[in-house]
Amino acid sequence: MSAEQLPYHVADISLAAFGRKEIQLAEHEMPGLMAIRAEYAPSQPLRGARITGSLHMTVQTAVLIETLVALGAQVRWASCNIFSTQDHAAAAVAVGPDGTPDDPGGIPVFAWKGETLEDYWQCTEQALTWPDGDGPNMILDDGGDATLLVHKGAEYEKAGGVPSPADDDPEEWRIILDRLRNSLADHPGKWTQIAGHVRGVTEETTTGVHRLYEMARAGTLAFPAINVNDSVTKSKFDNKYGCRHSLIDGIKRGTDVLIGGKVAVVCGYGDVGKGCAESLRGQGARVVITEIDPICALQAAMDGYQVATLEDAVATADIFVTATGNRDVITAEHMSRMKHQAIVGNIGHFDNEIDMAGLARWPGVRRLNIKPQVDEWTFPDGHGIIVLSEGRLLNLGNATGHPSFVMSNSFTNQVIAQVELFTRTAEYPVGVYTLPKHLDEKVARLHLDALGVRLTQLTKEQSDYIGVPVDGPYKPEHYRY
Amino acid sequence: MPLMAGLMARFADQRPFDHLVIAACLHVTAETAMLVRLLRAGGASVGLAASNPLSTQDDIAAALAVRYGIATFARAGVDRRGYYRHIEAALAAGPAGPDLVIDDGGDLVNTLHTQAASLLPGVRGGCESTTTGVIRLRRMAAEGALAFPVIAANDTAAKRLVDNTCGTGQSVIDGILRATNTLLAGKTVVVAGFGACGRGVAERARGLGAQVIVTEIDPVRALDASLRGFRVLPMAHAAPAGEVFITATGTCDVISAAHIAMMRDGAVLANAGHFDTEIDVRALAGLAAAVHHDVRPHVDAYDLGDGRTVLLLAEGRVVNLVAAEGHPPEVMDLAFGLEALALAWLAGNTGKLPAGVHEVPADIDAEAARLVLATMGTSIDALTPAQQAYLESWRIGS
Repeated sequence: MSAEQLPYHVADISLAAFGRKEIQLAEHEMPGLMAIRAEYAPSQPLRGARITGSLHMTVQTAVLIETLVALGAQVRWASCNIFSTQDHAAAAVAVGPDGTPDDPGGIPVFAWKGETLEDYWQCTEQALTWPDGDGPNMILDDGGDATLLVHKGAEYEKAGGVPSPADDDPEEWRIILDRLRNSLADHPGKWTQIAGHVRGVTEETTTGVHRLYEMARAGTLAFPAINVNDSVTKSKFDNKYGCRHSLIDGIKRGTDVLIGGKVAVVCGYGDVGKGCAESLRGQGARVVITEIDPICALQAAMDGYQVATLEDAVATADIFVTATGNRDVITAEHMSRMKHQAIVGNIGHFDNEIDMAGLARWPGVRRLNIKPQVDEWTFPDGHGIIVLSEGRLLNLGNATGHPSFVMSNSFTNQVIAQVELFTRTAEYPVGVYTLPKHLDEKVARLHLDALGVRLTQLTKEQSDYIGVPVDGPYKPEHYRY
Repeated sequence: MPLMAGLMARFADQRPFDHLVIAACLHVTAETAMLVRLLRAGGASVGLAASNPLSTQDDIAAALAVRYGIATFARAGVDRRGYYRHIEAALAAGPAGPDLVIDDGGDLVNTLHTQAASLLPGVRGGCESTTTGVIRLRRMAAEGALAFPVIAANDTAAKRLVDNTCGTGQSVIDGILRATNTLLAGKTVVVAGFGACGRGVAERARGLGAQVIVTEIDPVRALDASLRGFRVLPMAHAAPAGEVFITATGTCDVISAAHIAMMRDGAVLANAGHFDTEIDVRALAGLAAAVHHDVRPHVDAYDLGDGRTVLLLAEGRVVNLVAAEGHPPEVMDLAFGLEALALAWLAGNTGKLPAGVHEVPADIDAEAARLVLATMGTSIDALTPAQQAYLESWRIGS
């Protein structure tokens, strides 16, 4: 891909019609976003907003993008992962609801499945570069890559140049530095200007939020940020209900084994582990939990799960799922002692929970690819194990990740956060914020009707009695849902 | 008990038991009192004995005798001799013995055949309420010893579901909680037997947060338990792991001396089956260095002399009746309503069934379920004539 301005860059624009059909199905399952469109479209609160988004370019994200547009925003988009783009969704977003492949009327989107890392960072820069030479005034980020590019660009412009990578820097860091070096040569001052114009960023996920807090602590954060990740209606839904849905979906699509009667080990009993354990039990598996945190371990025991160490269970269980957020949870040595055709998968964010490198190095081990994202690794003694998605997130690799309804919760938070930051910029000095609780509650409220939920309202007397306003917020900030 | 209340009016009107004598051997509880009154409303004279030496609610027995004039022979804590004397008294309630019998466990029918055989020619038939009794009756029938038709009222789809799975499931847990006040969440609970009762107990224990281990001898049921996510082990492997043991098998010596010898300190033993044979209480007493009775009501502590103590609930008798209040009224309402309907059917169809054990006619089961649904305000669909024709035809395919 050249550095010249393109209206969009997707894999195949002719996939737009299929993408549009899926978007229409998703709209029905994303009642929060559709309610936001109905509520805010008349007042156009995002008129004048120029939003750069860096977030998995999926069907659900298409509904998010078109909601932002419906509220008056101009939008440019890139994906935040080289493999996560759904090409038909990207095509449909480029064509837009009223355009055609020959006469697209959508938004500039730069994303396709299977980008190289060079492509990826160029797409990110394209999404940040507006045709009039100016930049965005809002960023919607997932993992923080768009925010990182702006901050690093501005930092190096101020320093007068881009440093050379150190010998032990990862390959991706060299690519980022190369891109910025070219950019600084072609358009001096570009990143400083963008950083100065951005009113704020709304960040989707833990990893990006972590980066934002680090920058805020270091005093290098250039604009305010809203941490969408820690809205209850985001993290609980993503982590618990989303994984509860997609874990068994991934296991079944990958292997089609009967889960009933099997022994399944879930490593970690945080929100993700709780969702995983519940869905496996619901299918009739006997679930064993491993934990390092005594509180979570006790919770698991009180919920009726056997809590054991992986050592105890490794030789007898049928299914292993890691959900810890930590590294080396399942080692090659563990895998060498598992039952024949034990299934091993990870649903934690990174691909280091299962030691795939150690497995590949095991003397005499052989890998047989069964189908995409399903490999049988056979040990010299003849027993084999089935590894899903090469140890990466199996709910995304073997299935389709979170369903629309779950994403409607997180994305409704995103839209509300964008409106909040864009329209009340003065109320948010540079720093990292979570959405106020009444907005979190609003997101939940917008999803009740679709489920036929009938909410009870506090009476004035009840409201006075517990000192909670009739219309909320109903819980203190520290409340654990 | 809305089902029986509804039947009360119907029976008072139709009087299906006019001039008939019914001998009943049932747990003497408030729900049983309702059944006996229902039979009486239908025109019967009733003699009632208890079907368990410990389960009688004395206030109920007294009210039946005094207020309703029922020939009642039951007292809580009666000894074995007194227990059988009561059954004999119930059989002698009418001048020529009973026309119909209702039994719960088979002791009355057994006594009738062994101690009062002269009355057998007058008996038109009976109902048996529980699995244990049905098993005994089938053995009697197989040997040609059963002299009249008995309807196995325990064995209908509706009753298995409501009585065994839901009723026993709930009340056994209730009995254990009342007796021990132990938190089940996080405990390892061993349920012996995964029949309708054991399944109900196992599911409810899991619902309270216990880790449940199931033991079985039947491979189909063991597979059922496995596929529902329960751990299935032989008792010899479950014994060292369990903290609460519940037997629901219908057979004897399910928990033996060898098992008890492996158990953890503080293990709780409870029986949900009909008889006190499922836990080998005699063997437990033999193992014990000392027994402390009633450390809490219905809890005996067996000190094994090596630092371990095992707690036996309700002397190994049916824990939901002894330590709690038996099934909740809704369950007994269906069970007894079904028996009353079956008994009324027997009274009106004398001679149609040969001696032996018989299922409840399917339309009686459906009728009982339909009446219960009506009391719950639940409406259901009816087949259209076209659907009926479709189901009855083999000509119509896809």
